[in-house]
Amino acid sequence: MRRAPSWPRHAIMVVVSCLMLVPFYWVLKTSLTGENIYAYPPHIVPVDPHLFHYVDVWYLIPFPRYLLNSVIVTTMAICGNLLFNTVAGYALTKQFPGRRWVVLLFLSCMLIPFQATIIPAYLITSWLGVLNTYLGVALPLLSTIICIFIFKASFEAVPKSLIDAARVDGLSEWRIVVRIMLPLSKAAIATNVVLTFIWSWNAFLWPLIVIRTSEMQTLPLGLARFLSVMEDTTGALFAFVVMVLVPGLTIFLMAQKEFIRGLTSGATKG
Amino acid sequence: MSWRRILTHRFVVVPLAVALLAAGWNIYIRFNDDGLIEGEVRDRTGAPVSGATVVFFERNFVYYQEKQRTMTDAHGTYRFDGMQVHVGQLEARTEDGRHSERRQLRLWFRAQNAEVAPLIVDAPRG
Repeated sequence: MRRAPSWPRHAIMVVVSCLMLVPFYWVLKTSLTGENIYAYPPHIVPVDPHLFHYVDVWYLIPFPRYLLNSVIVTTMAICGNLLFNTVAGYALTKQFPGRRWVVLLFLSCMLIPFQATIIPAYLITSWLGVLNTYLGVALPLLSTIICIFIFKASFEAVPKSLIDAARVDGLSEWRIVVRIMLPLSKAAIATNVVLTFIWSWNAFLWPLIVIRTSEMQTLPLGLARFLSVMEDTTGALFAFVVMVLVPGLTIFLMAQKEFIRGLTSGATKG
Repeated sequence: MSWRRILTHRFVVVPLAVALLAAGWNIYIRFNDDGLIEGEVRDRTGAPVSGATVVFFERNFVYYQEKQRTMTDAHGTYRFDGMQVHVGQLEARTEDGRHSERRQLRLWFRAQNAEVAPLIVDAPRG
């Protein structure tokens, strides 16, 4: 039996991919030209492109400060995630009384939207005295349940005999996690890093509530401030959007392979 | 994992390349940020215009105001010092009422040294 040619499928995928990339292209094109988005007829190819809108953004708002704040908060969130999720994920691979209840609790907590927990989260943050601090902004993202389960799935895929051998060799539980589990869970680590990066980088509501001074604002808050203060700044606004997007896209593209592997590993396990 | 593999890993190479680019760019800025803006004022025949006033307007989303003014010398050249701006407009005016178009000036970084194309003074409109 003759196999159907694959080019129609590929052609469709190329067209769909191009359609999905159109908004990104349009943002990039507008950032280079400053063309009003309602201009008619719209120009598909950039007319007189230049990079000065990026220079405007860099100087007209404290962009370096916002960037630094976002980087610090995101780094804290990623470090916290890797630490706490590793430990929690490893603990859930062990048998202990009430383990099923803990898993059930975690799963049920995932059903509650973050917006519903804003008030208690704010009160706890206030009680800890970390409002308007980097730690306060990063606090809700220091550990996320979905990432705990990603680590749990990854750790469960490690052969039990390997852990038993390590234990026979005298390794403590901590060293088993650090020396055996983590090196075998690179995909899970990458997934954690990418997911936490995206969530923390794009976080808007929580920083809006916790941050009180402009010096502590992160990039999404800066973008909202930029929109409210400046007018007739189409090019600069889109340049700002690109500048906010680029770090996230870069991280995703760098870790794409591990990210996909991390999300799918354990997907077929019972 | 060997050091060679760690150093050539994309998670190391990409941030390192970005850091190097940023460092190189900042070094370039460090040596070219005296805020010197220089140029010439000429008339329509191409002859230099001495004694003309050149006005620099700071123009961005927030401000549109005169920032500094200077005079051209005998060769029709002018120079602004210490201009802490990255965008603005230049206009030349003569005592007899002629003036140039307002020339948009956009720089790659604040206080960048720049040489502006000659400003051509023309008879006043009307």
